[in-house]
Amino acid sequence: MQLTFDADVERFRAEFAAFLDANLPSEAETGERAYSSAHVPEWARRWQRLLFDSGWLLPGNPPEFGGRNASILEQYVHLEELDRRRIYHSFNPQGLGIIAASLLSFGSEEQKRRWAVPILRVEITAALGMSEPGAGSDLASLRTRAVLDGDHFVVNGQKIWTSGAHDADVLLTFVRTDPDAPKHKGISVLLIPTDTPGVTRRPFGSLIDRDDVDFNEVFFDDVRVPAENLVGALNNGWHVANGSLGHERTLLWLSFALRLEELARDFRPVDALDRDAYARLVMDAQALRLLGSAALARAARGEQDVAALSVLKLLGSEAVQKASEQAMESAGVAALEHPGMTAPYAHLNLEAFSAGWFERYARSFAGTIAGGTSEIQRTIVAERVLGLPRS
Amino acid sequence: MLFEFDSDQRLWQKTIHEVLVKECPPALIRGIADEGADPAPLWRVYADLGWTELTEPSEAVELAIVLEELGWATDPTPYLATMTWFTPLAPGVADGGQTGSAVLDGVSARRDRDGWVLSGVARHVLDGDRADRLAVVTDAGVFAVPAADVRATRVDVFDPTLHIAEVSLPGVRVGDDARTGADPRAARDLALTGLALTIVGACRRVLELTLDHVRTREQFGAPIGSFQAVKHKAVDMHVALERARALAYFAALTIAADDPRRRLAASMAKAAAGECQSVVFRNGLQLFGAMGFTWENDLQFALKRAVAGELLLGGAAEHRALIAEEYRAAHV
Ligand SMILES: Cc1cc2nc3c(=O)[nH]c(=O)nc-3n(C[C@H](O)[C@H](O)[C@H](O)COP(=O)(O)OP(=O)(O)OC[C@H]3O[C@@H](n4cnc5c(N)ncnc54)[C@H](O)[C@@H]3O)c2cc1C
Repeated sequence: MQLTFDADVERFRAEFAAFLDANLPSEAETGERAYSSAHVPEWARRWQRLLFDSGWLLPGNPPEFGGRNASILEQYVHLEELDRRRIYHSFNPQGLGIIAASLLSFGSEEQKRRWAVPILRVEITAALGMSEPGAGSDLASLRTRAVLDGDHFVVNGQKIWTSGAHDADVLLTFVRTDPDAPKHKGISVLLIPTDTPGVTRRPFGSLIDRDDVDFNEVFFDDVRVPAENLVGALNNGWHVANGSLGHERTLLWLSFALRLEELARDFRPVDALDRDAYARLVMDAQALRLLGSAALARAARGEQDVAALSVLKLLGSEAVQKASEQAMESAGVAALEHPGMTAPYAHLNLEAFSAGWFERYARSFAGTIAGGTSEIQRTIVAERVLGLPRS
Repeated sequence: MLFEFDSDQRLWQKTIHEVLVKECPPALIRGIADEGADPAPLWRVYADLGWTELTEPSEAVELAIVLEELGWATDPTPYLATMTWFTPLAPGVADGGQTGSAVLDGVSARRDRDGWVLSGVARHVLDGDRADRLAVVTDAGVFAVPAADVRATRVDVFDPTLHIAEVSLPGVRVGDDARTGADPRAARDLALTGLALTIVGACRRVLELTLDHVRTREQFGAPIGSFQAVKHKAVDMHVALERARALAYFAALTIAADDPRRRLAASMAKAAAGECQSVVFRNGLQLFGAMGFTWENDLQFALKRAVAGELLLGGAAEHRALIAEEYRAAHV
């Protein structure tokens, strides 16, 4: 056990910090805001491209994919440095964290060049089409159909909750290619450009605000998709799905730890009950970092422990939820203001600054619902960590 | 930060665990609780194995490993009091085989021509009735006092193998050389961390027993552990335990490194352990059904040790008040 990182990791941190200090976009440049998780303002595109070209976007990747073959601990301090300055990693988080990552793991060389690199350099943006009206937690029951017709797949069906789809250039779409196989075995993954005829996107508001439009319904009506857009092997989509979300998970807990630490800075306890909740928040943040760093150490040795990462997601997402509820209560009537100002001004992250307490609390439910709900995580932990029998 | 046992630490834990499985089985605990058996031979086993020599602050993580395992085994000896109450307040005073504890409040020291006179009464002193020596904290400093000089009476408590005593010092005379020079503020951190680890170990035992139970007990034609309501309660126990365990070892690590966060970390460890025992007690006893509600079930020992730990040296809420204050003073 050690409280600090070794000198080489700290050197890496210092190098990145110096890069940020020298290159961060100025306040004057960053006026234009993002409207959705796949809408990236021009300045943010330039910034992400600079990170990519300098090997600082995803340092764990090889140089041709925006990295410098950094170790997992170096990737960790890289994210810490971004967050310390309240800088978004990307304005197209699914594109960077899930879609490009899936393509780099499962895609062909041609797909990496044609799709992954442009997504990482934000020449295009991407959205994730997994969920359907009838397939949420039970993702494997998805019904959007794709039938091979010569050198094209013909796709029919519907996705929902597809964050940012209306601003995205391409959708990583999970489709059923073998309706007769057991449900996990008949799924495939297709890259579907959103300008393909037959694709209809209908964005709609979130509970936060009518104008907070990120969700989409996406309809596919005889959409013809070139067969070369198949990602991974035919009917091997379940494997890709686990991998796609797996990418996100190794460091997902860190985003909760960072949010908790932001809450520790922004939450103003007023009375003894607030202070009590505040202390729990501080403890949750510390515990999450401790447990997360142990998970990182395991990952650094190449051990995959997906179920243990569920513990971190549960702990982190629920801690953020409790703390933001308490911060809202402690703000009292002032928390009614929407949009509000609950974070210090940070020109690279104005969304956090202008989010009222209700918004911050409500957004915490993305953590407990998306990417496997808390209930599903509990069942996973019970069966795969605690060894309890399946029902 | 890299928060993982290294291979030596893993081996150490395994060794301790194996010794306790053999030397401190539930039958021994039950013998002490029901028949008044003497735990002294067990204490000598610990001393012979060198566990009582982990007195350097730099060995805090190794000590922590022992303490967690002892919590798991519901240790019936005065190890916790000796190593985490007495030793930090009176470093170098006792030799390996001796036991100790501490009187943390209730005693005042008066100076006269011949030295010091210590007077007062302290309630709820851990192992106050069976420690060879006591470290007595007063406004004038900490004094090491042989047990023979004080009057101690064991008090009945719900944990049948825990020793709690009322200790009175009716004008005990000591010389200047009895003053240990220790800083009670720093000593507090190890005492809190030790209790936190005890609770964590006891909670781990409750979870293990509960998991065994729900895997084997059948109702409605299925193991009750296959029911989702049962699974989710078990997971909440596990998550609370992981959190508390991480914070307890973090506290030990800050002591070993003499890191400035050690005071905050010790309170976080104690508070998290307290929160953990609350979930673990509630869900553990609930999932056992009536079977857990009996004197015969060994579950009781770990349950009681966990709650007893929460009640000593300030509960979770008290420490959370301290955490909020410390953290905001340092960061905001
Ligand atoms: C902010 C946000 C962004 C999202 N972005 C995307 C996106 O970009 N692309 C995409 O594909 N999807 C996206 N999703 C959808 C997300 O993946 C689903 O919401 C999630 O998989 C849960 O499915 P559901 O909403 O249909 O809930 P349901 O599965 O209907 O669950 C409803 C409730 O029932 C519980 N439940 C369900 N099954 C069980 C069970 N077996 N045991 C116990 N409890 C159960 C759940 O835990 C939950 O509490 C997003 C969701 C949110 C909230």
